[in-house]
Amino acid sequence: MARVPIIRLGDVLIATVQDELYDHDALQFQEDLGQLLERGVAHGVVLDFSTVATVDSFLARLIGAIAAASQLLRAAMVVVGLQPAVAVTLVELGLTLPGVHTALNAEKGLALLAHLRRDERVG
Amino acid sequence: MSETGSGVPAQSGLQEAIEQQRATISELLTPVIEVWDGILALPIVGSVDTARAQDMTETLLERIVATRSEIVLLDITGVPVVDTAVARHLLETVSAARLLGADVYIVGLSSRTAMTLVQLGIDLSHITTRATLAKGLALAFSRLGLAVIPQLGNTRHPVSPDRETP
Repeated sequence: MARVPIIRLGDVLIATVQDELYDHDALQFQEDLGQLLERGVAHGVVLDFSTVATVDSFLARLIGAIAAASQLLRAAMVVVGLQPAVAVTLVELGLTLPGVHTALNAEKGLALLAHLRRDERVG
Repeated sequence: MSETGSGVPAQSGLQEAIEQQRATISELLTPVIEVWDGILALPIVGSVDTARAQDMTETLLERIVATRSEIVLLDITGVPVVDTAVARHLLETVSAARLLGADVYIVGLSSRTAMTLVQLGIDLSHITTRATLAKGLALAFSRLGLAVIPQLGNTRHPVSPDRETP
């Protein structure tokens, strides 16, 4: 049992996913994040994978689902810090996370969220 | 008799030469060039098979992380034939780089290659493509908010308003 911590920073939520996350904990995380977004506390979510060495198909699919659900709640999600080996494995499994924003690190992820928000305001 | 005697050493010499060339080629395979701060270029010359594609992707991803680059120009000018297999490898490289947060533009796409891809039914609509490396670089600059401005009073490259931008 390891709960994924979700930190609120202004109107952005930052969650650092730990390595070897059990399916149960991943679902709990989805639940926690959903509740926060439902309350409308954030316009963006940064999901940090920099310490994750393995992502299984369950988690990959869940990320896609969380991103799509966040979008419905008017919040953009950015996956940041994926390691090269993880990226290669995901692509080989055919899990290319379509529709999910990505960035090299948390800093660039935050910049991307700000950019997306500006576009939304303009558009 | 003399023919068989000289044949064996010649063959082993040939084998050695082939090995040497193979080593040289593998060194030349995947140069990842940092063309600008945040922009990488990966020129591909020759055919792309599975082993080479994996090598290429691995090297590229490591360089993206090391240089914190946001844009990669994948130049396929030197790829003679882009068939279904090659296209699949390229798309995998693009997808993997995207997962890290880097945008990949496929540049150096000849009209013939473009026609082949369309005829093969390969969907590249979600991929940014440009005909030349220069056009890809121009796009990369604009995405990063950079501009190339000609120096005033430079007689070698005089600024003329009707000059086509690359």
